[in-house]
Amino acid sequence: MKVLLVHCHPVPESYCSALAEAARGALDGAGHQVRLLDLHAAGFDPVMKADERRRYNALQAGEHPEPDHARLLRWCEALVFVYPTWWYGQPAMLKGWLDRTWTPGTAFGLQSDRIVPLMTQVRTLVVVTTCGAPWWFSAWVGFPGRRTILRGLRALCAKRCRTLYLAHYRMDASTDASRQRFLRTVERRLARLR
Amino acid sequence: MQTLEAGGHRVDLQDLHAEGFDPVLGRAERVGYHDVPANREPVSDEVHRLEAAEALVLVFPVWNYGYPAILKGWFDRVFLPGVSFTIDAGRVRPALGNIRRLAVVTTYGGDRLRTWLAGDPPRRVAGRHLRWLVRRGAPYDYLALYDMNRADAARRAAFLDRVGRSLEGFR
Repeated sequence: MKVLLVHCHPVPESYCSALAEAARGALDGAGHQVRLLDLHAAGFDPVMKADERRRYNALQAGEHPEPDHARLLRWCEALVFVYPTWWYGQPAMLKGWLDRTWTPGTAFGLQSDRIVPLMTQVRTLVVVTTCGAPWWFSAWVGFPGRRTILRGLRALCAKRCRTLYLAHYRMDASTDASRQRFLRTVERRLARLR
Repeated sequence: MQTLEAGGHRVDLQDLHAEGFDPVLGRAERVGYHDVPANREPVSDEVHRLEAAEALVLVFPVWNYGYPAILKGWFDRVFLPGVSFTIDAGRVRPALGNIRRLAVVTTYGGDRLRTWLAGDPPRRVAGRHLRWLVRRGAPYDYLALYDMNRADAARRAAFLDRVGRSLEGFR
């Protein structure tokens, strides 16, 4: 399977980066073709500027503002996101990547103002994340970050797209043991992806 | 803004795009995130304005069931420990008691049903988390225009009226 691994953390030696590394290793080991997109290392600009917004609704397939990213999106059959959950959602960097690259003509079409999914080659969506908040507080807020990807993006993917959500809650109270355990869980679950 | 000024309020307009706000929380800020009060230095102007406010009005479009990155980055970088919340012996407490009135004005491309099916993340974050950070019991409005791509002039005008009426009620 062609897997796009989107990694978003500003600190290369962070736990999140270790999770991305573990995910990559597990996917490689399972024989998948993996491409790593490290948004901070790539210096991606998450801000959609005025002109891009003006052209947005009428964008066609060949007019993507970030053609390299469009090619990656069209190429992949699975998407794995690794990021820290900040304020119950994706960091601005990753949110901006979704805003600027999941565009009309590439990720979805607008036919008489109805949304038509175009990412139907994507059959698997995975989120690996760390949360400061405990599970119950995230549940009370309604898992916004999880919903953005597992429901919002999934609606643009294949009809029976599988989803997997792996989170380490209460990071501030985490221990070496809990972090190791979660790392192993991520490796094990990703190694099983088919 | 006109309605609020006409109501006799002092309005500090923070136009994130016009001010060229950088939403990316970078390496140095992440490493120093918990160093209160030094953590506010990179965004001292934004923190000062947030702390000087008695009411907070957010105006933004919903993109992909969330805030635009530039606004999400404002939360990431400005709503710091020691600014919007404190961590006291492991317990997180809200710290924006200066804000006693909260309003959100937003537009959605998706219709209400589609958005509801996706769980309407921005409504939840605003209604649950943001409200928790500000003064307890602060009046709160969430004003949303759904299905924006198909909204005709009449619906847009009606929404503008609704926003005006809500902001007229600020005391």
